[in-house]
Amino acid sequence: MQNTILFMLIAASIISCSPKNISSRYYFQHEKVLDNIEESYKKIYQSNPFSIGFSSRDFKTISVTIKTDTLNYIYEFTVGESRLADTLTKYKLPAASVIALISQMQSIRCTWISNYNYYVDEKKQSLIFMSIKPVALKVPFKNAKYYILTYFAQPQYFDSEGRLLDRRKMKTLRKINGEIFKRINDKVCYTVSVRYR
Amino acid sequence: MKFILSSVRILNGRLFRNPVIVLAVLFGFSTITCLGADDKKKTSTKEQAAAFLDKITRLDASSIWPGINPDWFLKNVKANILKPVTVYPGEGTYFCAYSALTYLILQDDPLGYAKFVIDLYKDGKAVYKETLFNPPATVKYEAGRLNYKGIMDIHPADQMWYLTLADHYKGYLNIFNRKYNTGDEDSFWASANYAKHNRMARSLLYYHVEARGTDLFRPWIKDLFQYLDEKRKKGHVVLYINNRIFYKKNHVTIKLSVPTHFIVLEKISKVGDTITLIYWDNGAKTQMQLSPAFLKRILYGITVLTRPGNE
Repeated sequence: MQNTILFMLIAASIISCSPKNISSRYYFQHEKVLDNIEESYKKIYQSNPFSIGFSSRDFKTISVTIKTDTLNYIYEFTVGESRLADTLTKYKLPAASVIALISQMQSIRCTWISNYNYYVDEKKQSLIFMSIKPVALKVPFKNAKYYILTYFAQPQYFDSEGRLLDRRKMKTLRKINGEIFKRINDKVCYTVSVRYR
Repeated sequence: MKFILSSVRILNGRLFRNPVIVLAVLFGFSTITCLGADDKKKTSTKEQAAAFLDKITRLDASSIWPGINPDWFLKNVKANILKPVTVYPGEGTYFCAYSALTYLILQDDPLGYAKFVIDLYKDGKAVYKETLFNPPATVKYEAGRLNYKGIMDIHPADQMWYLTLADHYKGYLNIFNRKYNTGDEDSFWASANYAKHNRMARSLLYYHVEARGTDLFRPWIKDLFQYLDEKRKKGHVVLYINNRIFYKKNHVTIKLSVPTHFIVLEKISKVGDTITLIYWDNGAKTQMQLSPAFLKRILYGITVLTRPGNE
């Protein structure tokens, strides 16, 4: 009897930690903050292209990539460091908004956010790529898994199983970074991946 | 070399009958060549390549490469010639080694590159620097159809070129996946170990290639900054790095400490204990600051490419 209970507990914990289970509900549990992060990033990105990632496990160190016409600059900061605001201002990025964005990303363990260009019928499109490292996705001795969200600007096409399709070839699955994405809504998709960027 | 020989022929035939004088002139000329006066001389120039491409006003659709849009193909080749820095390996692919070499080829022999890709497009096979490239039907079918790779989606010439190189050159990382299948640009089929990269550099570039490092052990160099600074002044330097550490993906406890990425060093400087690197990577130049210890930690291979005789 004791063994059965123990087995059921272990099984329950494994099922509750499985990426599939987390993926199906994670977005809706955190919809507001995730959408806020996407909205703020999109708005700031228009002033100057950039991307942000947390480069340490404790979510205290950030890596900021700022793109200019001639060079990409990669800087590393500790969250809250005054150097960060100075650097953002130097590159004409709204420091207060970026710092607020970083804070929101930190609160939800969002490891990376960037703009990603792709082409449909030779026309440039872009999506926002976000990766999150939920606590429950951590499995000892295994590669860390990330919950990846893609925010498209236009509604996308999906098959009967909710998998993202290539618009040009309606029956072909569309892969991003080698991963198949699933539908959350018409414009937002998710996947679970070992790669966070 | 042709120039030297023809010059000697003229000197020998018309002015100098004395072989000693001819040899002395030849020796002097060669010495100048070896000592660097010729170092900046390129195998071909951007202008020559542009003139060659300007003669091709349009290309017909090819049954050999059914996925390639000929207008985009030509536009892509011309853009590569004009702005080599923007040459891009694609999002999520394993093309970084080929891309780093392409960046150098486009600077050194843009005409050779342009002729090769046009021949390859027209005939399905072509020779570059005495090597015949004849990719299989699977590669020919897929080139031009790769998508979700960023700007490479509309760069069919790059898709053709990278897939052809990846198909032709093989290293031990490709042992279990030697034949291309759809999607293999993101797999070990396309990956390059250090020895393969250097072999490709020797085969594709008109440079003397000197390599230090391995796939598993870092090169032992006492003052890495000084070494890189000196080598950069002599020629091009490709760095083989551990990308996971370079971009500090510190989200896992145990990290596989192996190099995975190739970048081209453009400039290196040092102030106090901070090294500033400017390097070419993924279609752009990037500036990053790091400590000497960190540089030592990420660096597994240094390939120095110099003009023959200027080693």
